[in-house]
Amino acid sequence: MAVSYYPGCSLHAMASEYDESLRAVCEALDVELAELADWNCCGASSAHFVDDELAIRLPARNMAIADRAGNDLLIPCSACFLRLKYADKELRSDPARWIDGPYRGETTIYHVNEFFDRPALMASIAARVERPLAGLAGVAYYGCMSQRPPKITDAPSPENPVSMDHLLRAIGMEVRPWSYKTDCCGASLTLTRPDVIHKLSGDLFEAAREAGAECLVTDCPMCQSNLDTRQAEIEARRGTRYDLPVFYVTELMALSFGDGRTARWWKKHFVDPVPLLRSKGLAGAE
Amino acid sequence: MAETRQVTNGKVGAVLVVGAGIGGMQAALDLANAGFHVTLVEETTAIGGRMAQLDKTFPTNDCSMCTISPKLIEVDKHLNVDVVTGADVVGAEGEAGDFRVKVLKRPRFVDLDKCNACGDCIEKCPVAVPSEFDEGTMDRKAIFKRYPQAIPGSMAISKADRPPCVLSCPAHVNCQGYIALIGERKFAEAYALIRERNPFPAACGRICHHPCESQCNRRELDEAVAVNPLKRFVADWVAQRRAAGDDPAPPPVGEIDPSKPRVAVIGGGPAGLTAARDLALRGYPVTLFEAHDKLGGAMRLGVPGYRLPDAMLDRDIADVLAAGFEVKTGKALGRDFTLDGLKEEGYRAAFLSIGCTRPAPLARSTDGSEMRGIDLEGVLPGLDFLRDVKLGKAPGLRGKTVVIGGGNVAIDVAMTAKRQGADSVEIVCLESRDAMPAHAWEIRDAEEEGIVLNPGWGPKEILGTGGKATGITLQRCVRVFDDQGRFAPEFSGEVSETAADRVIIAIGQRSDFSFLAAADPLWDESKRFIRADRRTLQTNVDWIFAGGDMATGPASVVEAVAHGHEAAESIDRFLRGEDLAAGRPTWDATPAPAPAREFPLKDRAVPERLPLDRRAGFAEIEQTLDEESAVAEARRCLACGICSECGQCVAACGAGAIVHDMLPEEVTLEVGSIVLAPGFQPFDPLQRGEYGYGRCQNVVTSLEFERILSASGPYQGHVLRPSDRNEPKRVAWIQCVGSRDAQTGNEYCSGVCCMYAVKEAIMAVDHVPGLEATIFYNDLRAYGKGFEAYYEGAKTKYGVRFHRGIISAVKERQQTKNLVLAYVADDGEATEEEFDLVVLSVGLRPSASTARLAETLGVAVDRFGFCRTDALAPSRTSREGIFVAGAFAAPMDIPETVMTASGAAAMAGELLHEARGTRIREKSYPEERDVGGEPPRVGVFVCRCGTNIARTVEVGDVVEYAQSLPNVVYAEENLYTCSTDTQTRITRTILEHHLNRVVVASCTPRTHEPLFQETLREAGLNKHLFEMANIRDQCSWVHFNQPEQATSKAKDLVRMAVARAATLRPFQDVLLDVDQRAIVLGAGLAGLTAAVSLAEQGFDVSLLERDAEPGGIARQIRHTLQGPDPRQHLEELIRRVDESPRVKLYTGATLDDFSGHVGKFKATIRQGDRITEVGGGAVVVATGGAPYEPQEYGYGQSDRVITQLELEARLADPGFAEGLREVVMIQCVGSREPERPYCSRVCCQEAVKNSLAIKQANPDARVFVLFRDVRTYGFDELHYQRAREAGVIFLRFEPESKPVVEFAGGLTVRVVDDVLRRPVELRPDLVVLSAAIRPDPQAEAVSHALKVPLNADGFFLEAHMKLRPLDFPTDGIFLAGLAHAPKSMAESISQALGAAARAATVLSKPVMYRSGVISEVDPAHCAACLTCVRLCPYDVPTVGENGVAYIEPASCQGCGVCAAACPRKAIVTRHYRDDQMIAKVDVLFGDVRFEAACPAVAQAGGKQ
Repeated sequence: MAVSYYPGCSLHAMASEYDESLRAVCEALDVELAELADWNCCGASSAHFVDDELAIRLPARNMAIADRAGNDLLIPCSACFLRLKYADKELRSDPARWIDGPYRGETTIYHVNEFFDRPALMASIAARVERPLAGLAGVAYYGCMSQRPPKITDAPSPENPVSMDHLLRAIGMEVRPWSYKTDCCGASLTLTRPDVIHKLSGDLFEAAREAGAECLVTDCPMCQSNLDTRQAEIEARRGTRYDLPVFYVTELMALSFGDGRTARWWKKHFVDPVPLLRSKGLAGAE
Repeated sequence: MAETRQVTNGKVGAVLVVGAGIGGMQAALDLANAGFHVTLVEETTAIGGRMAQLDKTFPTNDCSMCTISPKLIEVDKHLNVDVVTGADVVGAEGEAGDFRVKVLKRPRFVDLDKCNACGDCIEKCPVAVPSEFDEGTMDRKAIFKRYPQAIPGSMAISKADRPPCVLSCPAHVNCQGYIALIGERKFAEAYALIRERNPFPAACGRICHHPCESQCNRRELDEAVAVNPLKRFVADWVAQRRAAGDDPAPPPVGEIDPSKPRVAVIGGGPAGLTAARDLALRGYPVTLFEAHDKLGGAMRLGVPGYRLPDAMLDRDIADVLAAGFEVKTGKALGRDFTLDGLKEEGYRAAFLSIGCTRPAPLARSTDGSEMRGIDLEGVLPGLDFLRDVKLGKAPGLRGKTVVIGGGNVAIDVAMTAKRQGADSVEIVCLESRDAMPAHAWEIRDAEEEGIVLNPGWGPKEILGTGGKATGITLQRCVRVFDDQGRFAPEFSGEVSETAADRVIIAIGQRSDFSFLAAADPLWDESKRFIRADRRTLQTNVDWIFAGGDMATGPASVVEAVAHGHEAAESIDRFLRGEDLAAGRPTWDATPAPAPAREFPLKDRAVPERLPLDRRAGFAEIEQTLDEESAVAEARRCLACGICSECGQCVAACGAGAIVHDMLPEEVTLEVGSIVLAPGFQPFDPLQRGEYGYGRCQNVVTSLEFERILSASGPYQGHVLRPSDRNEPKRVAWIQCVGSRDAQTGNEYCSGVCCMYAVKEAIMAVDHVPGLEATIFYNDLRAYGKGFEAYYEGAKTKYGVRFHRGIISAVKERQQTKNLVLAYVADDGEATEEEFDLVVLSVGLRPSASTARLAETLGVAVDRFGFCRTDALAPSRTSREGIFVAGAFAAPMDIPETVMTASGAAAMAGELLHEARGTRIREKSYPEERDVGGEPPRVGVFVCRCGTNIARTVEVGDVVEYAQSLPNVVYAEENLYTCSTDTQTRITRTILEHHLNRVVVASCTPRTHEPLFQETLREAGLNKHLFEMANIRDQCSWVHFNQPEQATSKAKDLVRMAVARAATLRPFQDVLLDVDQRAIVLGAGLAGLTAAVSLAEQGFDVSLLERDAEPGGIARQIRHTLQGPDPRQHLEELIRRVDESPRVKLYTGATLDDFSGHVGKFKATIRQGDRITEVGGGAVVVATGGAPYEPQEYGYGQSDRVITQLELEARLADPGFAEGLREVVMIQCVGSREPERPYCSRVCCQEAVKNSLAIKQANPDARVFVLFRDVRTYGFDELHYQRAREAGVIFLRFEPESKPVVEFAGGLTVRVVDDVLRRPVELRPDLVVLSAAIRPDPQAEAVSHALKVPLNADGFFLEAHMKLRPLDFPTDGIFLAGLAHAPKSMAESISQALGAAARAATVLSKPVMYRSGVISEVDPAHCAACLTCVRLCPYDVPTVGENGVAYIEPASCQGCGVCAAACPRKAIVTRHYRDDQMIAKVDVLFGDVRFEAACPAVAQAGGKQ
């Protein structure tokens, strides 16, 4: 299976472990990732706040490339995903306004969880699991941008997404139920309003702990970096220890597949996941 | 009244009512009582609808079930209402007055006429599914009664399509059925059920390839149910019991009929044994021939002992042999006997099932040449090897064994070779590992034991030295099958070699056809096979049938079993000369999907396996599940087919009422009109995911909470929360879930949720003292009659907290499962609060089946799916002759549903009045026998009620005891006394034994007394000579664990009943002449509408109006919010009254005097000096209301402060609105105030209407509406939304800080805005007051004249706020319009029509019967003390000129209050005379000197 791949800037920099683990997982599952040729910025976080026109044009160009490539498109970054979904909707209704030439509109845009949570891939995932992550309890945290607004994201169950729960269960993890799957972590204010982050992310840590989770799992690079990098500071302010590693779902999938490269990803985490994994007998192999 | 067919103008005097909720039932009863035949079609299995699901009803807190249940019985017993449940309307042709409607009755699988509702089947049924009636809060069985009081009381069975396990099983063993039974620990029953279709439970439980599991729907969830291990478990369980000397499942034994034709079965494998058994069970003399010494075929000789020990097979075969057929072992076809010989011996049919016993030879090398080395020592066929091992003849092995072949046999051979001593075993096969024909689990077993797989190779040559095999040359196989799927292996050049001391070839097997001569007619054209018909298994030779492996090639045991069954069926048909193929069941149906609901994940039970180090010899590898694991595993079954057809109900039913093969039935009904009352379905809260419904256990819907409150609900009426069954202490209601909600497209207000939430909160507090109830709401819409007071009471008496504001999300705490709600507190701060339970007040919407109904009938619906109607013709649909009632028209509560139902009945009555009485059924009875002077001869019938009574009460003892009682001349017991055949029996017994009193000891008179009274009438006895003893509900059910005492109590109850029976006296119902005309008081909108409708229904009407002109307050209404012109409508009504020859309008008329009773009222009218007397059998009170003249806000001080009605008048001038700059409207002026504590209901709509009118004429005008709650219920919410969109500004104020209107310095309105929390100053040019509606000033006078009551607010009080909203306690007098309470024009019209329909039930016949159970005064004893006059709740007794009390028989309700209170005992209530009651007490207490204890009673008793 071949699929177009739009990594966006995050996965080329800050979230390189997401990129690497995603590539590792795809390789294991015989999914061929074809990075979009000459892709450009999706416009998230700045363009779409300041210029309505640019907010569509930037992602539209990427969609036009993907459209020509013909395959479905996998976008691991939630912000990119949302921007390109917007553009796709616009292009489907009025392509001539945005691009030269036709727009076939046959490309389905997938975010990571929804991409893997399909019967054929789930079957191969189940078959590929070598080290079920038994005993590791976590919560699936989807964040907001891959789900809302549903008329753009086409999320099947935006208030209670389940795709990551399925994935984590398939690799043997204990997925704890909680009500905060899509509550905002505040990532977009991480630089401007740390006080808001302290409240929003802090509440998430509290809820995760209350739910009996030992870690959080996400497929959004903004959420991951926000929850990971701000955790110590929130702990200090709240006078408590959460010690909740924040994983990318693909990292854990690769771990369960017995991938030997995980250790280098753990090094990029602020909250060191190794002690937790070691306590579950999941860190010794590499 | 035998009305003959009259001129009907081609109209049919019958009506179809669709939907049997409270609306449908009311419409049906009104129509049937007005002379029309009614068919009441209901989608579910019982009538009662949503109301039956409710716990209590607002605002009276009456028990919903208690209120509705008499209605259910009335519908059930009505001679002219046919109830059709489980049915849908699927088509309607024709036109108004003459429709032909197709109704599809879905099978109930229970015969309604035979089922006596004893419920014995329910206990036996092993399948539980969520109860629809209980909204899934508890389970019911697959055979069920929708709810305990359901009508019809008969059970019904739910079935989906057949489950995939049953469909995929070649023998169609009822997997779901036996799994369900295992889940209920009914192991013997499970075993018997398996054995019906599979005679080898122990063997198949071990070796079946179980296609059932690979199709199991549970795989979608986690893993397939372990069907096969469960089968093995029950087989072994039964074996254990048998070993202990107890046989819980004795095998079926055939009754062989020697006169039947003889049948030969050749081959004692699974197919042959199955066929022989089936035929023996059908009575045929069967002989089975087997070539070997022992039976079992491939099961015995082809399956290694570590998979199937011989002892297990022997058990199964012993059961099969019990069927009773002859067995001849050691007899091989062709060797010891021939088919021709059998024929000569007299066998008339033969079943050939000789299996595939010849190994396929390895004939060719991979290069296509003849295989080399095949004859070397050490090369042997796999099948022979396995057989020899089984027979103890196989050689021990040493060194390395290579097995050629990739199928099951190859694996068996390899693992057996290991057990025979081979040091190493290798399997070589052509296929790749994934494509090997052996099952994956078999391959895994082999690998586990260290057997080496070498797939993808073909044998080129077997190598050897000295005549002994030493190895094999192999060639790489690249493809096994060609594109057409034919076996055509292709090889590459790659070659390898493997050493081998033994080579065992297991590449297939064939049948041994050596018994056939070359020219035998049995051969097919190829001369290689015997061809048998796939369906019937008949061969070329008609009397010979062939099946099992010889027909299919090597296959599985269960397929052979399937063939055995089919062969037996075919042979049976053949011998009876029937068509072999016709009507045989097909099994290629679509399997049922997994039930669409959540199931918890649960691991599959895995049987223990023998550890590798203990696998020496042929000990079984896989073990049997233990009992607990088996039961737990069985409970993983999703019961996809719902009913499993396990047959337990059939066995339990004493009445033979279960019909599993019942088919759907379509009927065509001829009706003149159709009334649609399909009701609503609650909004599905999964659409509002943020509330966590479906995820958080303690988030429930309001309807689920009704069930939680209900005594018949999941917690028997204790308020508990689902997660931990603890009492919740903090409960929140979230309003408007799926209402007023643009996101889900339900923008309308559901109208009822505020009130039911208030009620639920009150009931919750009532159930759990100290419970804190909080209602989060938008606007609290307590707009109905009595609602505002109820709402206030919730706050003040029950401490219910009301918080304005809608919750955005519900979060669950994982440790406690408590729920966290975030909201803005009164101080404006964001607040989080934790609750134990959250109730979602879900809205109302039409169901999917209602959408289909509307489409089928061509009835237009609006964008929400509600029936499209006109605001001023609220019952009319878009198709003429079809009318609508209840919540399909708009969201509405119970009384409004009842009113609209009566209204729809009136419309149908208008349409069909010419055909009234033409389709009704009447019953005639034999003349009543005069029993006066006869000594009492009592017959007693004691019911067993299946086992309901009999299992607790010794019924035989009770009968014997009854026979010993005085006056009893006959007593018997019945299985079901209520069954139709018992009624015939009772009738016969009455005649034979000359009985003059009958006692039935059974269930409750509430449902069954009318039935038995009917039987008495049919036997020529007066129906009052009947008495009932309730020995079920009040005895066997409540004392189920005290059988002795229960029996003794049953005797007491029977003794009491017999004693009273002896005192019973015959009397007749009261016959009244009916004056078939009506009197309508008031000619406003309601009165005019009622009068016109009554005239259209064919009745003369006297219409009285106080004013000089008809029209009333409606004259002041100039436009409606919905569009239609009210003035035009009113003029049209007045014109119709003027032109109607049937209506006589008296204007300027006052009521001087009023008298009479139902059927005959008289009113004296004064018009100036003119006095007129008018008569009628029924009266409609439509005397209207009046606008309140405000005292507040400076009304009257300035012409710039006016009322909404005055504004409406001014707006008639188109220029008026254009001149307005700013308008302030103030709501609740005179309403919701201490002196008028009710909501005037229409003022919010008025304000919205007039605001919109202003905005439309002058968009720049600013309009402010100062309100407390905006109560635009139902679709008026859409207009409220429109007003906001148009820029009308709504500001909320608290009653404590009302707006202030000041005139000094220009008109100023000051108000504290609730949202901004700061004062606002407005400077309008006009202040408009939404003034209350108050009762008509003369209501009190009318109330006195008619002796009908008013409520505390001064409006007329109906007989019952829920179910009799249009009736007065006094029969024959009805109520409509503002006289009842404030309401809109549409509601007045609907009510007026309803009142007309209610009146028509009285007027439709020239005579009427009323119950003869009434009170009578003995004038000789009456002291005229007026006690009865004061106490009668119906104001019936009067003291007339002769100085004694008189009770009008036509008016008396027979309640007995007067008789109980009369100090002189001058009043008796028929049928409940003192002697009749004391007789019971006397015999209950035996010789206790009752007289001494209570001389007054003794005296009275003695007198009678």
